[in-house]
Amino acid sequence: MFMLTKLADLVQIAPQDFSKESAKAIEDNINAKYANRVIHKIGLCVCLWDITWTSEGLVSSGNGYANVNVEFRMVVFRPFKNEVIQARILSQTQEGISVATDFFYDIFVPKSELPDGAEFEAKEGVWIWKVDGAALYYDNHELVRVRVISEEWHDQAPQEPLALEDQPASELLSPYKIIGSMNVPGLGCTIWWDD
Amino acid sequence: MKVLEAQTALLSNYEVYQHIVDTYKTDNAKKRRIPGNLAMMVTEVLGYLRTAPSPLAKQDETGAYSPEALPRLIERLSEENFGSELTKAELLMIFNLRPSNNAVLSTTIEDMIERFTEEEQARLVEVFTEVLGSNPPDPVEAAEDESAIPSIENGQ
Repeated sequence: MFMLTKLADLVQIAPQDFSKESAKAIEDNINAKYANRVIHKIGLCVCLWDITWTSEGLVSSGNGYANVNVEFRMVVFRPFKNEVIQARILSQTQEGISVATDFFYDIFVPKSELPDGAEFEAKEGVWIWKVDGAALYYDNHELVRVRVISEEWHDQAPQEPLALEDQPASELLSPYKIIGSMNVPGLGCTIWWDD
Repeated sequence: MKVLEAQTALLSNYEVYQHIVDTYKTDNAKKRRIPGNLAMMVTEVLGYLRTAPSPLAKQDETGAYSPEALPRLIERLSEENFGSELTKAELLMIFNLRPSNNAVLSTTIEDMIERFTEEEQARLVEVFTEVLGSNPPDPVEAAEDESAIPSIENGQ
């Protein structure tokens, strides 16, 4: 579910950070910019893995920042297609189940990807899998195993201020969304399958 | 920002876990201030990896996973004549999830029923348990065990 991505960027070290070791200053700069951010069509950045190359620092006139070109590798969260990952049920609707990991919330399992015999109990707001006469509940906060079947990307391009005001906040699409499946044995709540 | 290579390597959960612990959770590193977004991210990722049934749940205590675990797993699989039977992606998932029964194993191996007989599946699970360890018994059972035999480990 994690991979390494090689990136290049210009790092600007502020004069107040000159007291830090150069490598640490560059590391902090990169982490502050990328950690917990989604790069379009790449994935969710976790943290810096290593720095592979740096240029000499050039001090720019006017503000005294040291400019360094850096090539580095980031740890990125991006499960591959068909990968099975562990996650937790966040909320449920008629349309399906939203699941999340501790650090990534945009995973959705549509109702078509739930096993046969799964029904939505509107009164309690939970999905129930009725199998062999037993009713198994998809309770919120329950741990599940989910297979990744596809992903959706929405580029967060800046919008005109006017357009932004017209649009309710809920319509802003998440930059990276994973569509999952739980319709084969072994997937779904972990307690159903573990001995 | 420029993307030089979108994917240079896949990382196992264990490698990410170890990298975060080594880089940010040693006594020396804790003294240093790190950016807030990073602090939150590493805490959440560690919390996720430490949630049972993730095999890293008790890594700090048991040390079940080590840098030698994956090579050792591949070696044991070839000894059991499963050498080239599993793909890299399947191995990675198995290493991350540590299947302990056939149902979970079937999610990590494509078309498992056609590729392996039931006896072979049982042997695969055995190999994984042998090399990677297994989940601790659930807390209720563990509590009963403890009351029966005083544990030296927990009563230090």
